[in-house]
Amino acid sequence: MSAGPTPASRTVAVALILLGVGATFTSMNIALDQYGRWGARIFPLAGSLSLVALGVAEWWGARGRPASPALNRAHLPAIAALLALAIAYVWVMAQFGYLISTAIAAPIALWIFGVRNVIGLCAAAVLCPAIYHLVFFELLGVFPPLGRWFDLLDVFGGY
Amino acid sequence: MEIFAALASVLGDPVLLGWVFLAAIVGMIVGAIPGLTASAAIAMLLPLTFYMEPLPALAFLYVIGKSGRYGGSIAAILFNTPGTAASAATQLDGYPLARQGKAGKAMKVATISSVIGDFTGEILLIVGVAWIATIALKLGPPELFAVYFAAFIVIGSVIGKSVTRGLASAALGVLVAMIGLDPISSTERFTFGSFDLTNGISLVPLMIGIFVLGEVFAQIEERGKTTEMVPDGDDAARNGLTWAEYRPCIPHVIRSSFIGSFIGMLPGLGSAIAAFVAYGEGKRRAKNPDDWGKGALEGVAAPEAANNAVSGPSMAPLLTLGIPGSTIGAILIGVFLIHGIQIGPTLFLTSRDLVFALFACGLIGIVMYGIIGYYGAAFVGRFITRIPTKVLYPVIFLTSFVAAYTSRGNLFDVYVMVAAGFLGWLMRKLDFNPAAFVISFVLAGGAEEAFRQALLLSDNGLMIFVTRPIALLFLLIGLAALAVRVRSLNRQARAVALEDA
Repeated sequence: MSAGPTPASRTVAVALILLGVGATFTSMNIALDQYGRWGARIFPLAGSLSLVALGVAEWWGARGRPASPALNRAHLPAIAALLALAIAYVWVMAQFGYLISTAIAAPIALWIFGVRNVIGLCAAAVLCPAIYHLVFFELLGVFPPLGRWFDLLDVFGGY
Repeated sequence: MEIFAALASVLGDPVLLGWVFLAAIVGMIVGAIPGLTASAAIAMLLPLTFYMEPLPALAFLYVIGKSGRYGGSIAAILFNTPGTAASAATQLDGYPLARQGKAGKAMKVATISSVIGDFTGEILLIVGVAWIATIALKLGPPELFAVYFAAFIVIGSVIGKSVTRGLASAALGVLVAMIGLDPISSTERFTFGSFDLTNGISLVPLMIGIFVLGEVFAQIEERGKTTEMVPDGDDAARNGLTWAEYRPCIPHVIRSSFIGSFIGMLPGLGSAIAAFVAYGEGKRRAKNPDDWGKGALEGVAAPEAANNAVSGPSMAPLLTLGIPGSTIGAILIGVFLIHGIQIGPTLFLTSRDLVFALFACGLIGIVMYGIIGYYGAAFVGRFITRIPTKVLYPVIFLTSFVAAYTSRGNLFDVYVMVAAGFLGWLMRKLDFNPAAFVISFVLAGGAEEAFRQALLLSDNGLMIFVTRPIALLFLLIGLAALAVRVRSLNRQARAVALEDA
């Protein structure tokens, strides 16, 4: 990490401007109230236009600078894998319930972080869903996310 | 004095004391684990507190925040890795002391200084907060909006390495807070036809995503790195702390405690800035400035007193105006809301006993982490080296999902948490400011309400913010903070460019 301030970047500037312009158009589509006043639009519009202005300021700051150094991409595959796992985990939770989804997600998460011990991974597949289920859904009494297609809790007769 | 009645009441409740004790230990461990912060721990544990009474829930999370700030010093001294950003200044002298075999001595100095700093901040909070609340009750919507405006600017521009990206983080936080129904006209905003979005984005999954899952993503880049501990030293002569050794630290501790308390009252600045300001000021005034950075005990005492002194006063804007001064404050807003407690100046009319009991828990928590830390910091350090991060972070990953679900029993919130987690990682990576994003998200609703109420009161539209002197003052404070920050960053950039040349 450098000690100095972060140099402005054109890529970030363009992203901010595009985001701000998109948000501005969306803000302008917010309906006016029954008296035709802009009340509900003001804050979204202020936030959107601020993004555009800040994007322009970032671009202005990047004038005459060489392109920013590229991000370290060495870990991007692992990060993409973890993001995919996170999205898939929620989707499987919706379809097959908490127990099955966690039994699948726990060993994969451990594997992504570098655990290669097969017994450990198998133990995680059993222990993680059991412990989380006991703590959150039995002790705290939270109603668990039930699977739309199939749920192990139906088999156990819990719900 | 209500605080004494509150102390008596808390000391007579063993269950509450148990929660405070647990929080002191949990906070210390979490703060000492490099990469994990007290904010992350509080965000993750927040859903557990839904099922608790308001006081134990608030006390548990509040004390985790306090002991977490202190716990960062353990990692800074023993591992040469600050457990929290706030303890990075402690590392400058703490690690050289550890290399000299004086880790135990350094940790004792850190503990005593943290306790003194934290007590100073907490007492200033107790003495001053009701007074600030009385003034806050007199502020009308234009003044309140101006305070919010100044907070947005300060939070967005002062923290971090880039003013534009910090302010953009704050603007993004405002935009995300606008998702859902307009509270006045019930008009849909940024919902894109989605029924789930009409309820808006919930604070709890957003925070769990930004602070917990975001950190898990960041830790992937640290895979394979091991935390090695400097021997804490069994030599009693090197690691015992005598009065003669601590006495030179006292002026630094007192000065730093007040520096930390003052910085704590200003929204958004936080412990890291307080610690570095106190370290710089301490070195400037020290009799032995050449020893600082090479293992001076005063160099550990000054930043530790300052970063812990922030804790109490940072609650002042939260409790009196509903403006969180720190990320921990933003998370505590969630706890107040969950338990149906309206924060702001009226809090001292509606829940005065609860507030003073919370302060009492804070004082007791300081004593607890002080005692545990004085005698057990080295043990905590050894314990942390035994936690394999390749197991810890997957467990945190799984916990974040169930915690996000628990907040409202809704899988949409879990998707929000995943999106926020990735966004949090991306923001860190690109030097945006996740703390400004979350604090602005929390502030946006109140700011919009105050703005629209002010316009309804006004005969001259926006001129109401300029014609009311207090409102104008806060607007100018915000703009001045921005100007000062831009100037300081330009100067730093020029200095870096000259060094490179």
